[in-house]
Amino acid sequence: MPPSIDSVKVEEPVEEFAPVLYPLRDIEKPEAVEPITGGWKEGVPIAIDFGSYQTRIGYANEESPSHEFFSQVSKFRDRRANRSYTLVGNDIYLDATARQSIKSPFDGPLISNWDATETILDYSFAKLSVGSRNGVENPIVMTEILGAPEPQRKFMNELLFEGYNVPSLTYGIDSLFSFHYNQGVNVSDSSHTGIVVSCGHEATHIIPVIKGRGILSQAKRINWGGRQASSYLQALLALKYPYFPTKVTPSQATYMIHDHCYVSSDYPQELSNYLEYSTMSTRERIIQAPFTEVVVQEKSEEELARIAEQRKESGRRLQEQAAKKRLEKLVQQEQELEYYNELKNRIASAPNKKEVKRMLDGEGIKDEAALQKTISELEKTIRRGRKQDVGDDTEEQVAPSFPLVEIPDEDLDEEQIKEKRRQRLLKASYDARMRAKEEKLLEEQRLAEEARKDDEWREADLEGWIKEKRDKLDGLLANVREKERLREELSNRKSHASQMRMKSIAVLASDSRGGNKRRRAAGAGDDDPDDTFGANDDDWAVYRRIANASDSEEEEEEKNTIKALQEQLLQHDPTFSIEDTREAQLDWRKSTIHMFLRGPHEFDPESRAQSHQLNLNVERIRVPEVLFQPSIAGVDQAGIVEVCGDILLRNKTIPYANNLFLHGGQAHFPNFEDRLFNELRAILPVNTSLSVKRASNLSFDAWRGMAQWSLTDDFRSSVVTREDYLEMGSGYIKEHGFGNALVR
Amino acid sequence: MSSASESPSLIEQADFSTVPKPFKSESWKQSNKRYKNLKALVTDEQKRLASLPPSDDKATYFSIEAPPSLRPQKHWCDITGLPGRYKSARHGLRFYNVEIFKAIDEMAPGADQQYLSLRNANVILR
Repeated sequence: MPPSIDSVKVEEPVEEFAPVLYPLRDIEKPEAVEPITGGWKEGVPIAIDFGSYQTRIGYANEESPSHEFFSQVSKFRDRRANRSYTLVGNDIYLDATARQSIKSPFDGPLISNWDATETILDYSFAKLSVGSRNGVENPIVMTEILGAPEPQRKFMNELLFEGYNVPSLTYGIDSLFSFHYNQGVNVSDSSHTGIVVSCGHEATHIIPVIKGRGILSQAKRINWGGRQASSYLQALLALKYPYFPTKVTPSQATYMIHDHCYVSSDYPQELSNYLEYSTMSTRERIIQAPFTEVVVQEKSEEELARIAEQRKESGRRLQEQAAKKRLEKLVQQEQELEYYNELKNRIASAPNKKEVKRMLDGEGIKDEAALQKTISELEKTIRRGRKQDVGDDTEEQVAPSFPLVEIPDEDLDEEQIKEKRRQRLLKASYDARMRAKEEKLLEEQRLAEEARKDDEWREADLEGWIKEKRDKLDGLLANVREKERLREELSNRKSHASQMRMKSIAVLASDSRGGNKRRRAAGAGDDDPDDTFGANDDDWAVYRRIANASDSEEEEEEKNTIKALQEQLLQHDPTFSIEDTREAQLDWRKSTIHMFLRGPHEFDPESRAQSHQLNLNVERIRVPEVLFQPSIAGVDQAGIVEVCGDILLRNKTIPYANNLFLHGGQAHFPNFEDRLFNELRAILPVNTSLSVKRASNLSFDAWRGMAQWSLTDDFRSSVVTREDYLEMGSGYIKEHGFGNALVR
Repeated sequence: MSSASESPSLIEQADFSTVPKPFKSESWKQSNKRYKNLKALVTDEQKRLASLPPSDDKATYFSIEAPPSLRPQKHWCDITGLPGRYKSARHGLRFYNVEIFKAIDEMAPGADQQYLSLRNANVILR
C-alpha cells in the first residue's frame, strides 16, 4: 500500500540530533576592582596604547602591558547614597547603573571628549602607581591614528605637558609598532618591508612599510572596523528577528562576531549552498538568550480524563444541536419548495397573463424565469442539505405512525388539535429525514458508480486518466494560489481587488441603489415589509464578498479534493512522487526563509527556549565579508584586496608582497590569511613571492613594539621634550618611522 | 549601612573620583571647551588643511581615504545575504528567490527602507 499523505515525511538525510546551543555572551562582571600594579619605575618610559576600544598601559621594560581595559568612563550619581561615582575601564562593569552612563573619549576614530581622556590618563598613571609629585616624571609613548589631525595632538600635548608635566613624549601608529615587534629587531632587514593591514575598531588601515618606515603617503583607510561590524550585525539581527524578546546589545554583537564569524575562503561559492537543509547543520550557530521557562501546572490523569470526557460530551451535544437545526431548516426549505411548485402549477393553469402577473407580484417575484430560478436553487440547496448529517438515521427501522394527521380538525377536540399539530411537525421532520437518507444512499451509489467508471477508464487508458487528473490537480492548485494572491492583494489598499471590495461596500451602503437584484425588483427600502433580503442563504454571499475573511468551508472542501487527487496520483501515476505533493512542497525543509531563521530544525512557536534563539548562519561570513566588499554594507570604498593589490601592482620593484601583515581585533577571523593570500595570488604576476601572516598576539603586540622601541636610541631622538614643546608650539612632533607626518 | 564602613563595597573601592592624583600638575586647569563631536572635528581639520599650502606627499586624515572600488559590484539578497540575482521593482530590494520575494511583498511598511539602510540605499527625506 502506498503511504497516505498524512504519514508522508521527507526522508531525513541527516540524523536528527540535539543542536549545540551557544550562550549569548556579554561583558562579564569582573570579580574584583582593577588592581594597582608593582611600584613606580622612575625614568622608565610608559607606553600607552590608547585605542578606541581598549587601552593598554605599562612600563616599557615589562613583557606585556600590565593593564588592559575598555576605553570608557562612567560618571554617575547614586541618589540613595547621595554621592557621585567615577568608574573607569573594566570597573564600569561592576555596577549595573554605571553601565547606563558610559562615555567614550572617542567619537568615531577621533578623540572628542577630553574630560574622559583625562580621566583615563589619570586612571592609567594611578594604576601604574606613579610616585612623582606635581608631574609624571616618565617619558611617554602613545599611539594615535593614521593621519591624526594636528589639533588632536595639540590637545594631547597640552594635557600631557601641562597637566602631567611629562619630560618627553612621542606618538606612533599602533599597527606599525606591531609589525616592528613581529618582524624582529633588525630594522634594516628586508623583513621590515611589507604591507600592514590593520583591522581596528573604528577603521581598517593599509600601510606599506619600507625598512621599518611607514610610507604614509600611500597608506589607505577603509571606514569599516569592529564597531561598524557590530552595529551591522545588530541591525541584521533586529531585522531578522523583529519580535525577539530581548534587545541584542552592541557588546553582545561584538562577542557574537568574535566567537562565530569567519572569513569565507570563497564567498560566492560558499554562499550558493549555505542554506541547504542537508549541509546546514555544520554551518549554523544557535545562540540561546537567557529565558525563564513557564511552569505548566501538571494535571492528574483523572482530571485529564474528566476534561476529555467533558469536551466530548459538549461536542456531542453541539453536533446534535447542529443536526437538529439543519433538519429544521431542511424541513422548512422543503415546504417552501412545495409552495413554489404549487405556485408554478397554478401559474401553468392560469387563464391569462394578467392573472400570472398578479400572482407573481403577490409573491414579490419578477417573472416566471425568476420563479424557475428560485425553485432550482432551492432544489439544489435541499439536495446539498440532505447530504449533510441531519440527525440519527440508523434507528427507526419501523416507521412511526401519525394517526391524527389525516383527520380533519372538525372531528377533533382542542387537546387533539394540539397533538395533531405536534404530530404534523414530527411527521414533516421524519419525512425530511427519510428523504435525506434516500438522497444519501443515491449519492453513495452515484459515487460508487463514478469510482467504478474511473477505475475502468484508468485501466483502459492510463495516460489519459493521469493527464486528466493532473490537469484537475493543477487547476485546483492554481485556484488556491489565486485565492492566496487575492488575499495578499486585499492587504494592499491600492490593489484592484481592494478597490472592487470598496465598491461593493459603497453600493451596499447607498440606499438608492440596492445591492441585491431581488431587492431592487421588489422596490424595497429598509422598512419595506416585502423585503425578502436574507431569506435566501445566497443573499449573504454579498457580505462574504466584502469581508476579508475567506470561506473556510469551501476551502476545506477544496483541500480534501486536492488530497484525494494526490493520493490517487500517488497510487497510480509512476511519475508522481511524494516530492510532488503539495505537503512536501510546503514542507519547512524546502523553505529558504525557514532555514535562514531557524536552521534545519522544526520550529515550535510555543517553546520559550526556541523563541529566545538566534540562528547565525549567513551572517557568519556576511559580516567579515564587508572588509573585502565594503559595498555590502553600503561603504563606497575599495576592499582590502583591491587596495593591497593596487599598492603591490604600482610598486612592483619593492618586495612588499613578502610580508603582508595582519593586525587588529578584526584580523582574528579564521581563514583571513588564506583568503587574502588566494585573492592576491590571483592578481599578482606569476612567481611573485607572497606571504601573509598575522600578529602573534592581536591585542598586545602594538604595545610590545611600542615598549621595545621606547628603550632604543631611536626613541630618544624622536621624542618631543618639554623644551621643544615650549619652543615649537603645542602641535609640534618630530617625524619618525612609526609616526604621522607633521602637517602644518 | 554599617557594614559598608568596615569593608567598602566593590563599587566604592572602584570609585576613581576619590583616588588621590599626586602626579598631576598643581597649576593645571581644565579648559572649558572639552567636547567636540566627530563632525565638528572633521570640519575643523578640513578648514585647517585648506589654509595650508598643498602638499602631495603628506598623509592627512582625508588623503588616506580609500577610493571607491573599481571592480564590478556584486549583488546580494538584502534579506538573507545569499546571491541576489533579482530586484524588486516596488521596493528596490534585491532577493534570492520567489519565496523571499513574497516575504518582501508582505513586509510591514518601512521595513524595506530599514533593509535598504543596511547598505545606505534608503531614501532619506529632508
